[in-house]
Amino acid sequence: MILGDLLDAPVRGPADDPLGYVVDVRLVLDGPLDGTLAAPRLHGLLVSPRTGTSFLGYERTGVRSPALVARWLRWRHRGTFLVRWSDVEAVAPGAVRLREGYRRFSPDLPGRPSQRPDLHRAT
Amino acid sequence: MKRLLGVALGILTAIGGFLDIGDLVTNAVVGSRFGLSLAWVVVVGVIGICLFASMSGRVAAVSGRATFEIIRERLGPRAAGANLTASFLINLLTLTAEVGGIALALQLASSVEPRLWIPVAAFALWLVVWRTKFSTMENVTGLVGLTLVVFAVAVFLLGPDWSELADQALSPTVPAAEGHAVYWYYAIALFGAAMTPYEVFFFSSGAVEEKWTVKDLAQSRLNVLVGFPFGGVLSVAIAACAAIVFLPAGIEVSSLSQIVLPVALAGGKLALAVVIVGIVAATFGAALETSLSSGYTLAQFMGWSWGKFRRPAQAARFHLTMIVCILVAGAVLMTSVDPIKITEFSVVFSAIALPLTYLPILLVANDPEYMGEHVNGKVTNALALVYLVIIVTASVAAIPLMIATGAGS
Amino acid sequence: MSLPPDEHPPGLVLDARLHLLDRQVLDVDGVPVCTVDDLEVHGVDGSDLPDGTQTAFVTSLLSGAVLATRVFGGRPPSSRWHRIRWTHVADVGTTVALGVRGDTLDVTWTERWVRDRVIGRLPGGRHDPG
Repeated sequence: MILGDLLDAPVRGPADDPLGYVVDVRLVLDGPLDGTLAAPRLHGLLVSPRTGTSFLGYERTGVRSPALVARWLRWRHRGTFLVRWSDVEAVAPGAVRLREGYRRFSPDLPGRPSQRPDLHRAT
Repeated sequence: MKRLLGVALGILTAIGGFLDIGDLVTNAVVGSRFGLSLAWVVVVGVIGICLFASMSGRVAAVSGRATFEIIRERLGPRAAGANLTASFLINLLTLTAEVGGIALALQLASSVEPRLWIPVAAFALWLVVWRTKFSTMENVTGLVGLTLVVFAVAVFLLGPDWSELADQALSPTVPAAEGHAVYWYYAIALFGAAMTPYEVFFFSSGAVEEKWTVKDLAQSRLNVLVGFPFGGVLSVAIAACAAIVFLPAGIEVSSLSQIVLPVALAGGKLALAVVIVGIVAATFGAALETSLSSGYTLAQFMGWSWGKFRRPAQAARFHLTMIVCILVAGAVLMTSVDPIKITEFSVVFSAIALPLTYLPILLVANDPEYMGEHVNGKVTNALALVYLVIIVTASVAAIPLMIATGAGS
Repeated sequence: MSLPPDEHPPGLVLDARLHLLDRQVLDVDGVPVCTVDDLEVHGVDGSDLPDGTQTAFVTSLLSGAVLATRVFGGRPPSSRWHRIRWTHVADVGTTVALGVRGDTLDVTWTERWVRDRVIGRLPGGRHDPG
């Protein structure tokens, strides 16, 4: 498989309900040592409910300026979530299906303070 | 002392290197038709290119990454590929115009037909790209290009009605003979001539070529902030020359001989000789920059090895790209197309493509992963957003205006 | 609605598109090699179409024909992929650094071809600019 098969692929829930598109794939370098670095393990998929286009990382990183551009791109990607790879039931070419009982996580890169106040606002 | 010389050299080459065939032609045409009523656009354009070039220079110096690597990394292959296609073609168009400009200037000097000069110019261009050191190339063309100061001298020698010129520049109105659409079309052309994207590709790649680091930031900022405005003054001087000589007579500039005529009227044969030397240097310098930019953009997009600091064999695909582009530009010119017409189109298309290069640079200049503590400050970002609006507006308005005005005719 | 934060995994976290794809790859001497056009993924059992039931790893950076398919869509036959094994990757920052020389890699064949057939044969092509 190549990552191009996953990126931009539509994501469906267990009941075939459309959830959005894969905007990015989260990797963690905690696999077995492969050369100098650990092998990158597929940790999860970042799913945006609105758009398949990547938006320059604004939706996940701490960059907040220039404010106007940052705000617009964040708004375009509101509702983005992370699902773990273990919650992926099937990967057909150009389609991803999640298993029963999959969980959504915050898309923030861990280890950094939350960059998504729009998602963490108390409701 | 040596430091001071270095600073002076940097600023002088920035002034001499600012003008290219696009600035020469567009300013003269605009001067002959609109007087100085579009001089404000040069001011807007110069501030814009100062902002844009200093941002891309800072990104290159801090992160070591040139503009098109960043465009690819930020926009992804599809949007960046579309951007590459547009930028590469416009750059090729500009290269063609510059080589045509060299041939026309040499024709003025020698009365030998431009088509005989085109192969000579193209070969000389390749030879410099192939063999000369980057800094030598920059300094020589920049310093010789300074002779275009003669346009500013000519304005004084022509003894114009200063209050009339000041009036045109300070309270701009659309001349009675011209429509509003044409006025705005030429405003965009002037803006595109001042802010051509190739300058940014070249400037940021040049920073990598010359191995700038954070320590060189002050010098590079000075070069841009002092050099480019003086270049802008020369642009306005070209327009003023045309405004003084051609506007009252109702003659529209359409050839290089008309562009230099005011200088010849003011200063005689000697001044004419000087201005021709200046135009050859400016167009040759810009032809070098556009040739290199064609290699830079493609190589950076594809991740190839590039740079004049390497032996050609160690940047083989980069050099092959430039050879092909120079050959194509020469071949197009041999069909006897008018380089002045090509120039007029190239500056407008530059304005159209500008947002594609501007936005990624603005984003990366704000990204601490690349820039660390050297991210844009608040003031820079405020100004940069104003320019984002201007650039997008000019880009969107350009094609409808081009169609509505029949490309300004 | 607020989403629970993900656990903090022990290793370096990279988002593929954000941190790896389309980045410049440099060899051990800092010479540009290619860009990361795509990544190849294998399941822990070597399967080349893993799903969530097994752990999957990135095994290679890809360059070349896969670029065209990321632009225009489709999928090139795997015989046309040019791989750089993850083993060769030494560091990931704003560029991807390799621990080997670019010349030894399969992905640079076009560069070598142009050098050997065209540029290297022109006079002065193998000398420093001066």
